[in-house]
Amino acid sequence: MIKPKRTHPLGLLLHIANSIKEYWFLFILVLTLYNQPLWFALSWAGIVLVIIIWPATRWATLSYRVTPTAVEVNSGVFVRHHEHIPYSRIQTVQRKQWFFLAPFKLEELYIETASHDDNKPEARLAAVPTTLADTIDGYRLGATAAATTDSTAATATSETAETDPLPLPATTPVTAHYRINNRTLLKFAVTSTGFIPLLLILLAIYNKVPRSWTDSLIADATHLALVVLIGGAVAVVAIAWVGAFLWTYIRYFHFDVALQGDQLKTAKGLFQRNTITAPLKRIQAIRVKQNVFRQWLHIQTVQVLLASKAASKDDDDDLVILPAVPQSQLYDVAPPFVDWLPDHTPDLSDLNVADRRQWYLIRNALLIVIAPVALASFLLPHWMWAFALILVIAFFQGRFAAHQTGGGLITPRMLALQTGHMWTKETYYLPVDMIQSVRLNQSIWMKRTGLMHLIVNVRHGNKNQAIELRYLKSTQAQRVYDWYLQTV
Amino acid sequence: MSSENHHLPNRIKLIWGISAVGSFAALVVITGLIWLTYRYWSWPFWLVSTFAAITIIEPIIEGSLIPYRYRFTRYQISAVAVEMQSGFIFKKRVAIPIARVQNVTLNAGPLLQWQKLTKVSIATASTDHGIEGLELDEAEALRDQIMRLAREARHDQA
Repeated sequence: MIKPKRTHPLGLLLHIANSIKEYWFLFILVLTLYNQPLWFALSWAGIVLVIIIWPATRWATLSYRVTPTAVEVNSGVFVRHHEHIPYSRIQTVQRKQWFFLAPFKLEELYIETASHDDNKPEARLAAVPTTLADTIDGYRLGATAAATTDSTAATATSETAETDPLPLPATTPVTAHYRINNRTLLKFAVTSTGFIPLLLILLAIYNKVPRSWTDSLIADATHLALVVLIGGAVAVVAIAWVGAFLWTYIRYFHFDVALQGDQLKTAKGLFQRNTITAPLKRIQAIRVKQNVFRQWLHIQTVQVLLASKAASKDDDDDLVILPAVPQSQLYDVAPPFVDWLPDHTPDLSDLNVADRRQWYLIRNALLIVIAPVALASFLLPHWMWAFALILVIAFFQGRFAAHQTGGGLITPRMLALQTGHMWTKETYYLPVDMIQSVRLNQSIWMKRTGLMHLIVNVRHGNKNQAIELRYLKSTQAQRVYDWYLQTV
Repeated sequence: MSSENHHLPNRIKLIWGISAVGSFAALVVITGLIWLTYRYWSWPFWLVSTFAAITIIEPIIEGSLIPYRYRFTRYQISAVAVEMQSGFIFKKRVAIPIARVQNVTLNAGPLLQWQKLTKVSIATASTDHGIEGLELDEAEALRDQIMRLAREARHDQA
């Protein structure tokens, strides 16, 4: 038997860094106590406990062991946990390597199964040798090749897959490989919509600027007020946009994806190299995504929906396998990785919103914004024109959604659905085995017009992803529902 | 169990009626508390009148919707799937294949226990779906059927 091992001492640093990240506000609290020496000293003692002693004991009590059948992790100070993870149960293995760990050949390892316990990976090993993940990958390739278990991937608590101890398969060849080139990555980063939340944060900060500053500024330069205003707005947008650009560029730097056996492996990142390995069989669905800016540049993103939180920092929590592929090449580049994807642009005209019915989607988009806009223009009449712009954006969003809505059966066992939420076109490829349930909604008014909403549920992360196609013809929606009942 | 459309058991209407009375009682208490704040802390009176109005209207609506709710709530179990349907103004229909069912939970509060009924909730890997009330033996039969079919479905695919 192999003895359980402790992680490398550098892991201690990572634990401490993590604690500092979680409890940084304590420092601020302590600083407010500087004129009460006793409390000041006590709270410093508290901080030392929280950010040094506690992580150190955690590190000292954590040990792991890799056996031919499972990974075992022992942890806990007061309450001891013994986690036993068989290879066939592993959903994703994630490796994170900060640049300062690279010279030591160390990395951080996260192992996840499909259990519903949210927000926490089953095992987190800070600073272990990089060879460990390779060993685990080797065992997993063996385990998945041998386990002729079910294809219902999903989660399955009651399956009883026994995996025999297998010899390590030497090397499984890489059957497909793709690396992003710098030009495409630049395009991808430039068109990131991450600047919108950043913009909101900056606006919130701007609101906190003392009134006296802005007032004096405006008083000094009344004749320049408009220039200052517009200049300020442009500057804020530019800062947010550059921030989002750098964020995306650094995170997706040297993006690389490979298919090895039946394991999909992506690697990305400049300062922290993030490698995620996921078995093909565990893929719940494929999403092809394109925001309106990327539509102009003709690049698309391909993501896989997994029953794991490993990709929680990717776009929408789903693992990106191809960040930016030119639209014309998508169906040449993607199918080698996921063989059930169609090899040509599919016809999605089977499900659609009829031209005469597009008004409903436009109306709903307008209804959502009309109350806030009315209230805002009442409170700030000078800004009326800006609010009117929001109405125009909402109108075109409704039209966009109506135009993008589409779908149809690609094969007898696979459904494709396309939606247009938030200026983003999303095409989902859903094998019938992964669809958890299908729902039809129809209000009494829609009965008269013969319309229906179709909602298809699949698992993503530890949650549900409801894909909703609104205002389809009843017959179309009903057809999908019947297909689902018959095929399942 | 046959695969036709089932209504919920008739006694569920009684339960819904009692729960409407229950929400009336809760609202009376809340309105009373608000009246006290008006009396002693001189909060505005319109708060009291608004809550009084809600107290009267909400249970009436809840009560008068019972026949409607009963009439349009249905469920259906076939060899491959459970289907549920509810609502008339907003009609919803959902299909859950038995092969996707992860677990079936029966639970009953005191009222349902007294009437020998139980709630059934069916969970898939991502969603939860509930039937508001079923006869206890029927619910157990349903649970066993789903679990048996789920096992068979799994064997088929293996």
